[in-house]
Amino acid sequence: MVVNKFQIEAALHAEKQEISAGRLKEDNPLDLSEDFRIFCEACRRSDLKVCQEQISKGVNINARDRFDYTPLILASLCGHYEVARLLLESGALCERDTFQGERCLYNALNDRIRNLLLSYDYSKSSDPLQPLAGHITSLLARDHPKTADLTLNTYDASFELHKFVLSARSPYFAAKLAAAPDSKSWKLSQRVPTQSFETAIRYLYLGEVSANLGDGEEEQAILTGIDKLGRQLEIETLFESIIEGGDRRKARQRRSEELNRGRDQLASWFNNNVLKHKMTAPIEKADDVKWDRDNGIFADVLLRADEPADEEEEEEAENEASDAPEVRRTEGPLNGIPIGNFSQSSRSPSQTRKQRDSVLFPVHRAMLLRSEFFNAMFSSSFREAQETPYLQIVPIDCSPRVLEIVLTYLYTEKADFPLDVAVDVLFAADLLFIEKLKQRAAVIISTLGNGTASVVEAENPRGETALEDVVDIYDVIRAGWDTRVHRLEEFGARYIAYRLERFIDEPEFAEIVRESAARIKGRQETDTVELIDDIRYYLSERFRLRFEDSGLDEMMDESEAVDSDMPQLPGKDVFHPDAILDDDDEAIDVRSGQTPPDGSGAAADLERLMEGAVIRTLDGEIAGDEFAQDAINYQILLGKIDTLLDNLALDA
Amino acid sequence: MIAPGRNKPKIRAPRRGLNQAADVDFDNTWNTLAAAFTEIHSKNASKLSFEELYRNAYKLVLKKKGEDLYNRVSNFEKEWLSNHVKTSIYRLISNTILLDDESTSKSTVERRVAGERYLQGLRQSWQDHQTCMSMLTDVLMYMDRVYCSDTHQPSIFTKAMSLFRDEILRAEIKVQETYRSFLEILNSVILDQIRMDRDGDFIDKHLIKANVYMLESLYDGDLEAEENRLYLREFEPRFLETSAQFYREEGDRLLKESDAGTYCRHAKRRIVEEQDRCRSTLSEHTSPKIQTVVEDELIRNKMKGLIEMDSGVQFMVNNERLNDLGLVFELEARVDARKTELTKALQKIITEMGTNVNNAAIAASTAQPAPTGEGEDKDKAKGPGERVVNQQTVAALKWVEEVLELKDQFDNIWKVSFQEDQVLQTALTRSTSDVINAFNRSAEYISLFIDDNMKKGIKGKTEDEVDAVLDKAITLLRYLQDKDVFETYYKKHLCKRLLMNRSLSIDVEKQMISRMKIELGNSFTVKLEAMFKDMTLSEELTAGYKSHVAGLGEADPKRIDLSLNVLTSMTWPLETMHGVDNAESDKRMKTIYPPAIEKIKTGFEMYYKTKYNGRVLTWQGNMGTADIKATFPKVPSKDGPPRARTHELNVSTYAMIILLLFNDLPPGGSLTFEEIQAKTNIPPNELVRNLQSLAVAPKTRILLKEPMSKDVKPSDRFVFNEGFQGRFVKIKVGVVSAGNRVESDRERRETERKSNDSRGFVVEAAVVRIMKQRKELSHAELLSETISQLTSQFKPDVNMIKKRIESLIEREYLERIEEAATPSYRYLA
Repeated sequence: MVVNKFQIEAALHAEKQEISAGRLKEDNPLDLSEDFRIFCEACRRSDLKVCQEQISKGVNINARDRFDYTPLILASLCGHYEVARLLLESGALCERDTFQGERCLYNALNDRIRNLLLSYDYSKSSDPLQPLAGHITSLLARDHPKTADLTLNTYDASFELHKFVLSARSPYFAAKLAAAPDSKSWKLSQRVPTQSFETAIRYLYLGEVSANLGDGEEEQAILTGIDKLGRQLEIETLFESIIEGGDRRKARQRRSEELNRGRDQLASWFNNNVLKHKMTAPIEKADDVKWDRDNGIFADVLLRADEPADEEEEEEAENEASDAPEVRRTEGPLNGIPIGNFSQSSRSPSQTRKQRDSVLFPVHRAMLLRSEFFNAMFSSSFREAQETPYLQIVPIDCSPRVLEIVLTYLYTEKADFPLDVAVDVLFAADLLFIEKLKQRAAVIISTLGNGTASVVEAENPRGETALEDVVDIYDVIRAGWDTRVHRLEEFGARYIAYRLERFIDEPEFAEIVRESAARIKGRQETDTVELIDDIRYYLSERFRLRFEDSGLDEMMDESEAVDSDMPQLPGKDVFHPDAILDDDDEAIDVRSGQTPPDGSGAAADLERLMEGAVIRTLDGEIAGDEFAQDAINYQILLGKIDTLLDNLALDA
Repeated sequence: MIAPGRNKPKIRAPRRGLNQAADVDFDNTWNTLAAAFTEIHSKNASKLSFEELYRNAYKLVLKKKGEDLYNRVSNFEKEWLSNHVKTSIYRLISNTILLDDESTSKSTVERRVAGERYLQGLRQSWQDHQTCMSMLTDVLMYMDRVYCSDTHQPSIFTKAMSLFRDEILRAEIKVQETYRSFLEILNSVILDQIRMDRDGDFIDKHLIKANVYMLESLYDGDLEAEENRLYLREFEPRFLETSAQFYREEGDRLLKESDAGTYCRHAKRRIVEEQDRCRSTLSEHTSPKIQTVVEDELIRNKMKGLIEMDSGVQFMVNNERLNDLGLVFELEARVDARKTELTKALQKIITEMGTNVNNAAIAASTAQPAPTGEGEDKDKAKGPGERVVNQQTVAALKWVEEVLELKDQFDNIWKVSFQEDQVLQTALTRSTSDVINAFNRSAEYISLFIDDNMKKGIKGKTEDEVDAVLDKAITLLRYLQDKDVFETYYKKHLCKRLLMNRSLSIDVEKQMISRMKIELGNSFTVKLEAMFKDMTLSEELTAGYKSHVAGLGEADPKRIDLSLNVLTSMTWPLETMHGVDNAESDKRMKTIYPPAIEKIKTGFEMYYKTKYNGRVLTWQGNMGTADIKATFPKVPSKDGPPRARTHELNVSTYAMIILLLFNDLPPGGSLTFEEIQAKTNIPPNELVRNLQSLAVAPKTRILLKEPMSKDVKPSDRFVFNEGFQGRFVKIKVGVVSAGNRVESDRERRETERKSNDSRGFVVEAAVVRIMKQRKELSHAELLSETISQLTSQFKPDVNMIKKRIESLIEREYLERIEEAATPSYRYLA
C-alpha cells in the first residue's frame, strides 16, 4: 500500500500533537547525553563491546541524536550486521509505517541487514517481556505440578493463586499477606461479580485483560466490580486499561508500560524478599537448614549453590584461614571464579572464611517452572517433588553468583551480567534448559568479548595482552560446541579470523581445528572443517571490508581473482612481487615488528580505526601498496591455514 | 559492569574438569545412576534426588559420554526386562491359555480366569515400565535433547518401549514343539476373551483395553509410523480374521435355524455390538474395519440367501411384515448403496404379481363367450352383447383396481420400510411400469376405467373421492408407454360420452383433461379440448338457430325442434361410431330423410352457411336421436275400456326415419327390409341394428317382424305393431350395441392399424422437424433424437423409424450423404 506524502505528513503531525499533549510516549526521544553519543559512535564503528556496555548501562536504545539518527539507523546505514542484530535483540524498534522504522529499512546498506530488520518488525515480534508475562499468566491455568498456595473463593468459583505474585503486584495483598502469611484460603466479598475478580486476577498475573465483558447491565456490574476491586487492591491502572481500547499503538504502549511496571514490581519484590532472605551456611550444614512452609516470603523450595573450590584451595583455605582472599586472588584466574567477583558483588556474603559456604535461596516453584529442568523435577515423583514439613533443599550445580543471575532472569527477565561469569551462566542455562538465557549469555560473550574495536586491537600489542585476559577463545568455542550455541562458534571464528596471525601458530589452535574436524565427522559425512570455513569467511570479510568501503570495484575484482588463484599472485606487477616473496614466510613477524610504532599514532584517527588492520602497517605509503599489502597478508594467512590443515592431515 | 583495568578477570569454562573427559569417572557415575534406576524400577524413587541423577547424566553427556550412557541405559533396561519382568510374566502363562481354542477341554470360566491373570500381569508390567521410563526420561532429559537429537537416535523412552516389545512381547515360550511369543499368546488370549464376550459371558473390558493400549503405543520396527503400530500389524489382522470366521459360521447357522426377520435383527444387533466392543474393549480405529467384516459375513455374502429364504422378502411382502422388510432394507443398504439384491427380489415379486393380475384380466375377458349363453339372457332386457360389454368392462375395472392396489401396496412398503429410498423407488416404478406395459390392453382398460367412472362411478361421490379416482387414473397413465393409443381410446370414449350425454359431470371431465395436460403435456389434450369446444359451440348454434327460426315468422305448431352438434371432423373419432365396413358406403349413399326432416335440415344448412361460409356439413344420422310421439290404436284392455295410447318414443334418428315410413302406410301395411332400405338409404348394418331394436327387443317392439326371429334378414317383412303395450308413456328405444365396451379382436386390430398409421405420421413429422433444424445428421443421432422426442407419446419402434426415413428419402424430403463416413442424411428444403 502506498501512502501519499501529505498523508504521511498529516500522520506525523498528529503524532507530534499527541506526544506534546502527553497522550503518547515518543518512540524516539532526543537524547544529547554523553553516553548516548558514545553509544551512537560505537554503532557507527561496529564496536560491539561498547554497544553492549552502553546497553547494559541502560541507555535508551530507541533514542535519537541531534541529527535525528537512532542507533539502529546508524548500524543499518553503516552495514554492521552484528550491531544491528544486537540492537534488535536488545529491544530496538524497527516498525514499518513509522518514520524512523522506514528510515532504517530504506537506509539498510545491504539486503542481509534489510531482511534482518524486516524479520524484527514489531508487528511480528512481541514484547520482550511477553515470555515472562505469558508464564505468569499460564500459572493460573496450570494445575500440575501444584504451585498455588492460596485459594480465593467467591460465591460461585474459586481461584488457585500464588501469594508471592499477589504480594508483589498488589500493595493490598502485600499488607494482608504480611499480616497472615500462613492463610490458606480466603473468602471474597459476595457483592463483586466473579467475573470482575477474574479480570482483576488476570491483570495481576500480567495477562491481557479484554474489554469484552458481556453486555448491558451485566457489563455495568462487572465494570463497577472491577473499579471497586481496583481501588481496594490498589491497582488503579486496572480500570483504565480495561476502558481504554482503540488504537493499536496506544494499546501496545499501554501494554508494554504495564508489563514494565509488573516486571519492576516483581523485580523489587524479588530483591527485597528472595535475595534478602538468602542464607549462607557452611557447606556441611547447608542441608540441615530448616525453613517452614509458611514463611513470610511464601517460598516453597530452597535452592542451594555451593561456592566452587578446588581441593587444594580448600586445603589452603584451611591453612591460611585469615588470608583467604589473597590466596584466591592468585588462584582465581586459573582455577575458578576469581575472588574479585565476590568483592565486587555487594550482595554476596563475606568471603573471609576458611570453609566453603553454600548459599540458599528461598524461591518459588511457580517461577522455577520456566526452566524445563525444574518443570521435570517438580512434575516427577522424585524426592524434590514431595511435600515435606520443611522446605526441600535442592542443590544446583553452579556458583551462588550464577544461580542468582539465573534466578533474576527467571523472576524478572533481566539478564545483564558481566563477561566473567558469562560462560558459567551459559553452562548453567544449558543445564537448566533455559534457552533464552543461553542466548543472552552468548550475546554477552560475543559482544563484550569482542574487545574494544576488535580490528584495532588485533594490531595493538597492548590490546592483545588485555584481550588474552578477557577471553580464552578456545574455551568459548568449546563452550559453544558443548552447549550448541551456534552464535559462539561464529563469534569464535570471527574473533580468530581478525587476529589470525596471532593464533595461527599456536598449538592450541591446531588442536581446536582438529576437534572441529572430529565434530563434523562425528555428525555428518561432509569433508569441510566448519571452524576453518568460518574463519576463511571472516578472513575474507576482514580484508575485503576496506575495498568495499573505498568503492574501488576493480581492486575488489583483482583481489577476488587472487582469492581464487593464488599461484598467479607473483605474476601481477602491481603487487611488488619482490616484497611479497621476502615477506612470505615471516609476514607476521614483519607486521608485528612494524605495528607498534604506528599504532599509537593511528589510534586517534577514527576513520583509520574503522578500516582493516593491516593497512596501517604501510601507513603513509602509496595507496596501491596498501592494497597490495592487504592482499598479500590475506594470501599468507590462507596459505598458513592450508599448511596447518596439511599438517593435521585434514582435507578441507 | 565490567571493571576496567588489567586485572580484568578472564572468563573460563565453569569448571576446569569439564573439558577434560578423562577426569570423569564414568563407571562410578554410571554405578550411581544404575543403582538409582534399580530403585526406580523397584518403586523406591521417592527417596532419590532428581537433581543428583540429572547432574550425573548431564555431566556424562557434556563430557561426550552420551553414547556410552545411552547404551548402558539400554542394556540396563534390557537386562531388567529379561531378568525381572519376563520371568514374572512367564509364571502367569498356564497351560489353559496355551492350548488352542479348538482343543479346549477346560471350561470357559477356567480359561477366562487364566487369561485375565495373564492380561493383568502384562498390563501391570507395561504400566510399571512406562512409569519408570518416564522417570528415567526426566532424569536423562539432557541426553535425550543433546545426544539423541544430535545423533538421530530414538529417544530413550522410545528405545525402552521397543525393548519392551523385543524383550517381553517377542519373548518365546515353547509349547508342544513350537515356539510361541508372548505377543501371540496375548493375541489369542484377547481373542478368546472376545469370543466369550460374543457368547454372552462377562469379561473385563478395561483390562483388555489396557493391553490394547499397549499394543497401540508400540511400533513394529524403530520407525514410529502410524501403520507400524503393533496393534495394526499383529493384533488387528488376526482379530478381523477370527471375527470373519466367527460370523461366517454364525451366519450360516442362523440362516438354517431362524427366519429372515430374526436374522436381520440379529445381524443388526451384532453390528452395534461390535461397534461398542471397539469403543470399550479395542481400538476405535478398528471400528470401520470390523464393521466391514461383519457386514461382509452377515450381510453381503448372505443377502441373497436371506432374501430368497422361505421367510424371505416374498414372505414378508405377502404377509405385510413391514418391520422385517425395513430391517432387510437397512442391512442391504449398509453394504450396497444400490441395494441390488433387494431390488432384484422386489422386481421379481412385482412382475410376478403383476403378471397374475394381467393374466386374470385376460382370463376374464376371454372367458366371456362361455357363460354368455344365448337363451338365458332372452328374457332380460339386456341383449347378449350388452352382457359381454359389461363383463369386459368389469374385467377392465378389476384390472385397474388390482394394478392400483399392487402399486399402493408397494408404495406403502416403500414408505414405511424402505425409508423412501430413491433407488428402490426407481426400481419399483420401473417394475410397475413393466407390468402395466406388458399388458397389451392397458391403454384401453385405463380409458375404460375412466369412462366407467365418468358415467357411473362418480355418482354421489364427494369432491375428494372424485379427486382420488382421477389421481388413480393419472397414476396409471404415468406408467403407460403407448400414450397415443390411450389417446385414441380416450377420444372415442369421450366422444360417446359427450354425444350421448352420458357424462355425469362436465366439470369432472374438464378436471381430468387439465390433469392430463399437466401430466402429459399440451399437445396431448389439444384435440380433447377441441371436442369440448365443439360441444359448447354447438349449443350456441342450436340456440342461435332456434331464435333464428322463431324470428322467421309465426311459429309452426308442427315444427320439429332441432338440436344438433356440429363436430369438427378431424377432432372427433367419428368412424368409431359406426361400423368400420360401412365407412365408405356411407359416403356413397346419402340417407334419404322424410320431407319434414329434410326441410329442417336444409333450413339449418342455410342458416349455418350464413354463419360459416364454405364449410360442408355432413349429417351423421347414426348418432342422433329423435323424440317422436306415436299414437297406437285403441285396444281393449283387460280391466277397462279400450283407450288410445300415445307414447313418447325416444329413438335413434334412423329409427325415426324407419318409423315415419310406416306413417305413410295404410294400417296393417308392411314393408320388407329391402323396401325400407331402398326408401331410406340407411346403411344395411345400421338398418339391421335399428330394426332389431324396434322389432326384436321385447320391451320396445313397436314393429312386428315376419317371420319372428332374432336375426333380421333382407327378406323379412315388418308391420307396425298396433298392439304395442308399454308400461310407461315415455319409452326409450336403445340401439343395440351402442354402449362403450371392450373392442372385439377385429376392432382392436383396426385400432392398432390406425394407431400405427398415425404413429407413422408422427414419426415422419418428428424426423422432418429434427432435420429441418439440423440440416445434416448421422443416422444414429437422428435415431436417438427421434426416439427421445417421441417417448412422451409412445415407445417408438426403431424399424418403423427406419421405414419412415426410407419413405421420406423416396419422397425427397431427405437424401443420403454419399461421402459421409457414417451413414448420414441431409435435409432437402
